[in-house]
Amino acid sequence: MNCTRRNFLIGGSTTLFLSGYFPKISFASMQKKNLIIISLRGGMDGLTAVPVIGDKRLKKLRKKLILEDVLNLNSDFGLHPKLEIFHKLWQKNQAAFVHATNIPYTGRSHFDGQNLMETGAHIPYKEKTGWLGRGLLASNIIGKGLAISLPMPLLLRGVPQNNNFFPSPDFVETKLIDQIYNEFKGEHNELIKSTLDTIRQRPLSMQIATDSDDRKKLALEAAKQLKDQSGPRVAVFDLDGFDTHAAQGGVDGAHADELEEVNKIVTILHENLGQAFDNTLILTLTEFGRTIKQNGGYGTEHGYGSAILMAGGLLKKSQVYTDWPGLKKKELFEGRDLNSTIDSRAVYNSAMSICFNQDPEFLRKKVFWGDELPDLSQELFKI
Amino acid sequence: MSLNFYRRVAFGLSPNENPDKDPLNWAINQLDTIPDLLWPGTIPTEKDLRKKYGEWVYGDREVLRKKFKNDKHAYRKAKDELRIKTGERYFELNEHAIRHFQTKYSKQPVFERFWLFWGNHFAISEKDFLAEFSTGPYQREIIRPNMVKTFEEMVQSVTTSWCMIHHLDNSESFGPNSKKGMEWGETINENHARELLELHTVSPNAGYTQEDVIQLAYIMTGWAHKWDRKNLETGDIWFDQEMHQKGDKIVLGVKYKNDAKRELAKVIHDLATHPICIKFVSTKLCRHFITDEPTEEMIDPVIEAWNKSNGNLIEIHKAVITQAYKYNEITHKFHPPEIWLMQLSRMFDLNIPLSFEKMNYTFKSKPNNRQRQLSWILREIGHSPYRAKQPNGWSDLEVDWVSPELLLRRFWFASVELPMLVKSGNRSHGFILSCLKNNFEDHENMASLIDNFRFGTSDYDLGQKYGVICNLPGVLKI
Repeated sequence: MNCTRRNFLIGGSTTLFLSGYFPKISFASMQKKNLIIISLRGGMDGLTAVPVIGDKRLKKLRKKLILEDVLNLNSDFGLHPKLEIFHKLWQKNQAAFVHATNIPYTGRSHFDGQNLMETGAHIPYKEKTGWLGRGLLASNIIGKGLAISLPMPLLLRGVPQNNNFFPSPDFVETKLIDQIYNEFKGEHNELIKSTLDTIRQRPLSMQIATDSDDRKKLALEAAKQLKDQSGPRVAVFDLDGFDTHAAQGGVDGAHADELEEVNKIVTILHENLGQAFDNTLILTLTEFGRTIKQNGGYGTEHGYGSAILMAGGLLKKSQVYTDWPGLKKKELFEGRDLNSTIDSRAVYNSAMSICFNQDPEFLRKKVFWGDELPDLSQELFKI
Repeated sequence: MSLNFYRRVAFGLSPNENPDKDPLNWAINQLDTIPDLLWPGTIPTEKDLRKKYGEWVYGDREVLRKKFKNDKHAYRKAKDELRIKTGERYFELNEHAIRHFQTKYSKQPVFERFWLFWGNHFAISEKDFLAEFSTGPYQREIIRPNMVKTFEEMVQSVTTSWCMIHHLDNSESFGPNSKKGMEWGETINENHARELLELHTVSPNAGYTQEDVIQLAYIMTGWAHKWDRKNLETGDIWFDQEMHQKGDKIVLGVKYKNDAKRELAKVIHDLATHPICIKFVSTKLCRHFITDEPTEEMIDPVIEAWNKSNGNLIEIHKAVITQAYKYNEITHKFHPPEIWLMQLSRMFDLNIPLSFEKMNYTFKSKPNNRQRQLSWILREIGHSPYRAKQPNGWSDLEVDWVSPELLLRRFWFASVELPMLVKSGNRSHGFILSCLKNNFEDHENMASLIDNFRFGTSDYDLGQKYGVICNLPGVLKI
């Protein structure tokens, strides 16, 4: 482990943060940019996804969870073998990771944590809208959110006219809508009528029944939509099952199964976005990481610091961006969890500023109540 | 009075019910007593189900996780077997059947609508295994009996119920100066205190501060489940003096003297009778029964009834219904998916829920598809009642329920699934027309929209008819 706290944030974000933001007008900024968030519910273990190499303490504390054949990233970090697509993209500067990061939430409740990862706030349940929804609204990007779920996720709330895609088990004849469309009269039926308009304007591919349990099909359709220059600019996927209290395993355990799901979605998005992948950012989001130490069931408990997995052509380069806090007992959060040294909201704020062509300073104020979130655009993304 | 009043305050009229001469009276007379639960099948007690909950978490956490720590496949298999044995996959299905049966056949459907309202006001959101074992009995044993008492009594019951305490983590809240707090270096968990203020009583309109939340959390410390090695967190609720924060507390400017377990009842009294609480909850009631944004004019008589009766819920309910009646012709209200489904089920006498004989469970194999059907439908139309995502429950606003996919799910249900739920004697066109006539003023216009299929009785034909009529503006929204 060569990475230490010293070689972090040198000359980077803080200076840019002070220098202000000057949006560049170029062809690239005219192209639609996509921001895709994949929520990993249950607490994704950053140390399983992006394990630190050669840390004796980790080996000792996680005897039964050690990964034997990690994919190589750099001298300090490896990659879980199930995250193949990220490794492939890493070679092309299209995958990167932020490590030892989390939302500023140190309680260990899934429910509070998931609420906060979506609202971006400090107090659970206080805010009723999501940071992504507020970011879109502040950037005046309306009707461009696509949720790959049935209810509109909290993350996207706060901006009107989002679309969602999570098809019913059987085909719905949309001609039924045509039959009754004109019955919706009067102001009090406006909202339903405009939503019926959204449905009627859907491309045929979105109308065809599919299996909402089949994430491949959902990802494929999302890619199709995002590829369309006039289609959505933001998509939100939801995965759960990261809460591996038992049999978490190493290369082939329960956590690996979940990472495989992430890998599948990103693979499909990459394959099907084509050129649009160059103008896309994919970021994961989770409520907390997991304890360093394995528990009695060879799983892990709720922790604190985790990692963000990133892919897409808008990344600056392949890197593990971190202010590594170390894994010695005194370096751990409350003596048990990987610490978080980067407020992950800074990453999301910077990502929104890139994808929405918006001043990060402006977004920080509009979306995150002016919280101290350094602009990381220059370090992480192509600007 | 328009026939839509029967859907505004209830679930519409079934084929063997007729409109009443005096609809207001009809509705108001349903609120004085608690109707019996009609479900002829098993209605397990909260305590029994909590025991099952205990068997499930103990078996998984303390036995299986340790036994199969090296083998995720064997672990999953053993866990599935435990699910079957403890009914982990079954009890929620049974609860949905009990609930739906009630709204379908109750002689006091207006009372049942209030039951749904209060269960959602004091919502238990999706957490741990509450939906699987506890939320249903909580609705039956905590919410329901309190509906003929005062609001304050309801808040007292809810706040000290096992289900709410577990839901909002009060068992993990220790007074920092209490015996256990000092010994173990533990402190408060504010969750329950915050929701008691924000969601259950005074709402943020009261302008409470973070310090108020902390002080209320202090008062609430000690109200916890009795933990032991075998039952884990599923023991009864008691007051643990050794967790309780010592000293006086001040909430919203009122001082509560150090008085152990009696502090909670005192503060709940003050919160539940606070004018801002009364206004907040009256507004929510009007929102549910009248319109998304009720005016002061609509709400004021409810507040008045509240004050006059000292928070007697029977009187409050009657005032709400009176207002709903008064504004019936000039307001609109969109109904969320579950209420829409219950209305369709009652109006068209659909074949849900499954008969109690067929719902019977032997704890030997997974519940079958028929047993899962109603719960599956609820999930697919986006409204599985005991799985709200957050402690604020399901939204009562149209804007939260009108997404493309959520509307499409209603078209899907009505055109694809519903035909399979039509009873064999009810497949004629004449049956649909008589149901429409019983429930809608503009039944002739509705009938004309499905006239093309008047001779058809196949599932496809019925799908074409129900797909249209169930999604008309006057059906989605009264």
